[in-house]
Amino acid sequence: MTSAIRTSGLSKDYGSGRGLFELDLEVQPGEVFGYLGPNGAGKTTTIRLLMGMIRPTAGRAEVFGLDAQDQAVEVKRLVGYLPGELAQFGGLRGREVVSYLAGLRGGVDPGRATQLADRLALDLGQRFREYSRGNKQKLGLLLAFMHDPRLLILDEPTSGLDPLNQQEFYRMVDEARERGATIFLSSHVLSEVEHVCQRIGIIRGGRLVQVARLEDLHHLRFHTVEVEFAGPVPADAVRAAPGVDDVAVDGERLTCRVQGDFTPLLAALETARVVNLVSREPNLEEVFLTYYRDAEPSAAGVVADGIDRGAQ
Amino acid sequence: MARLLRMLRIALRAHRTALLVMGGLSFFATYLQGAAFAAAAGHTAVERAAFAQEIDSLASQLAYLIPLPVRADTAAGYTQWRGFGGMTLVLPIWALLAATGAIRNEEERGLLETWLGSGLSRIGLIVARCLAFVMVAVVVVAMAGLGALAGVAASGESVRLAGLLELCLAVLGLLLACYAIALLAAQLVSTRRAATGLGGAVLVALFLLDSLGRINGRFSRWAVVSPFHLRNMTTAMAPGGSFDLPATLALFGIAIVVSVLAAGAFRVRDLGGSLVQGQARDRGVVHTVSPNPLLRLPVISALYEERVGLLGWLVGSLALAALIVSLAGSMNGLLSNASFQGYFAAAGTSDPTLVLLGVFWAGIAALLIAVYAITQVAQWADEDSQGRLEMILAQPVPRWRVVVERAGALALSTALLAGAGGLAIAALAPGQGVHLDGGRLLLAVGLLVVLALSYGALGAAVIARMPRVAAPVLGALAVVGFFMDEVGPLFKWPNWALDISMFRLYGAPLVSGLFATGLYVMTAIVVVGFGLALVAMRTREVGR
Repeated sequence: MTSAIRTSGLSKDYGSGRGLFELDLEVQPGEVFGYLGPNGAGKTTTIRLLMGMIRPTAGRAEVFGLDAQDQAVEVKRLVGYLPGELAQFGGLRGREVVSYLAGLRGGVDPGRATQLADRLALDLGQRFREYSRGNKQKLGLLLAFMHDPRLLILDEPTSGLDPLNQQEFYRMVDEARERGATIFLSSHVLSEVEHVCQRIGIIRGGRLVQVARLEDLHHLRFHTVEVEFAGPVPADAVRAAPGVDDVAVDGERLTCRVQGDFTPLLAALETARVVNLVSREPNLEEVFLTYYRDAEPSAAGVVADGIDRGAQ
Repeated sequence: MARLLRMLRIALRAHRTALLVMGGLSFFATYLQGAAFAAAAGHTAVERAAFAQEIDSLASQLAYLIPLPVRADTAAGYTQWRGFGGMTLVLPIWALLAATGAIRNEEERGLLETWLGSGLSRIGLIVARCLAFVMVAVVVVAMAGLGALAGVAASGESVRLAGLLELCLAVLGLLLACYAIALLAAQLVSTRRAATGLGGAVLVALFLLDSLGRINGRFSRWAVVSPFHLRNMTTAMAPGGSFDLPATLALFGIAIVVSVLAAGAFRVRDLGGSLVQGQARDRGVVHTVSPNPLLRLPVISALYEERVGLLGWLVGSLALAALIVSLAGSMNGLLSNASFQGYFAAAGTSDPTLVLLGVFWAGIAALLIAVYAITQVAQWADEDSQGRLEMILAQPVPRWRVVVERAGALALSTALLAGAGGLAIAALAPGQGVHLDGGRLLLAVGLLVVLALSYGALGAAVIARMPRVAAPVLGALAVVGFFMDEVGPLFKWPNWALDISMFRLYGAPLVSGLFATGLYVMTAIVVVGFGLALVAMRTREVGR
């Protein structure tokens, strides 16, 4: 089956270590793929390369088997695109912006656009310059979804949206996925990815450091454990236990981080009198931050290679 | 104080392009007039007296634009009339754009919130903006003064320094008064476009008041409230001219009082709002897409979006045509003048009205069309930098279409403007006893489109690589070209130098028909420029 998105050695070098380097990525049709990374990591550069807006220094990108550069027009027939920052349309009203861009695209059902405006509670009668940031984002979403594309490429889609509209956006993504569309969305908000994505890629410093299914990523998660003792704290035994680190003792209370199996920790606690034990699962935010804190891109790349570098 | 100084630096930085353009323009406008005087007026007292008589005759026809000259037989008098008189028309336009851009443009871009959020007071902000403009205006007017000094000296004459300084003071007062008026207008509406429209309308009304006061005694007592009238009261640069101190002080008084009013209005109004706000209208929420078919038509959609501005240009084009025809109709007396007869003979005709139409209408219309084309290029650059191009190319449209549509919209809009002016000329000329060759008029109109496309092609080629410099470069090219075409022959500059001017390439089709070489060169510029733009568009990177 032809991949919805396929990049091989895709690079864009802006100099001084900035840009995107040797991106090998595959997203399957019908998949919702989250592309995560902090500001300046290379998310928008990847998206612009996929959209044929900028030219790669090396490598290539394909969308449904079409070359993103040489067959850009055909690619865009299949794609709904939300840029990271929406264009200025000055004095045009929202309804005129939709009409103008729908005219350029051709074949857009005005009823579908009306339905989306209704769902997003977007007043298309206002002038673009009068729109708030959130309303501009809603207009951008409308423009991306209005032709029911086979692939949605969305750069930080919930930026500026209120919680109600975020929920509406998640429903729109679910519906698009149900009708078979592929969604590629970039974000630095992990909760958003947790809501809608099946697979995620983490990018840092222009390099892809991790690609995994959401549930695979959960396996990499650690637990933060807090133990309360009635008597001496077996700190040395806990520190020596395999898979346990970040051990801290405060009076009769011990906290530590456990990676993987709990058995070594429980063995270390065997002789102590435990009065309370709480284990907390970290959210993706903490996993994400741990990756960024601990892993150098090259080292993380090795980790990623061992887990999953392509579509599963 | 530190914040105020920081804001002052930012404001001065915002003026740097205007400083270069207006400073250069002011210098050359006055220098060229002064330096050209000797070549135009001759060297003997008799020649100069005859020249002054011709200028007086011409000036009486132009009295609604520029006041009558004082001692046009001297380089100082001639430069005051033509150099400073012309600058009096141009500088207020700059003041208008600077004042409406100073607050409203930055408000629309969200910069004002950032600055006010940094702890700078509203009064501090507007004081910094006004101070920056005063500093830049002083430099620009000084450049005009220096240009006049150098130009008059080049003609072998001298100018009374105190008189020149007094004239510069009056011009500076006018500039600051116009800035203050436009600044106040910007507080009364909520967008830059509306502010420019309102400020422009007020300034035009004040200009017309002065103009009517000059040509019709009934309006003269009302003209005293016009800053243009107050500026024209000073003629100190010309020998025998006078300096009107109260009028000059009144100009500075207007500038200060109106600026204070503008600052007060800015202090109390909402950001993004106007000083006077009507009751909010409940127009209901709209979820439907615009059914307007014009938005979906290639080329037409671009013109539709610019319809208000285009209408303004259209009105201007018609007004210019009507004005020039009425002027040409009253010029028959010039035929008896020996100097002008030579001029007509050089143009290949003895019909003065035809020459005036050919030179004035075609010349000024060509300049206006060039300015229009440059505004379109500036808009293309804005579209690219503000993400519009990215949104267009996110649709399944080939990149070449953007260039072709831009060229098409430019061709169509200039055809509309030039065509309207041409039709007005054709309709009004017979009533003034002017007999035109229809074919040549059509040629003049058609060549204006080619001229606009030439500027557009150069702009399209430049913005692909250097979007920010395209409009200033084209502006400089147009201004230098216009002056070269105007004064180059007087200085007997070589043909190759004169041919650099696009206006020279346009020629004088109403008078002398087609200048084939010019058409070929302009066509080559169009083909090469848009060709380069197409290649650049194919490979260029898009996105902010």
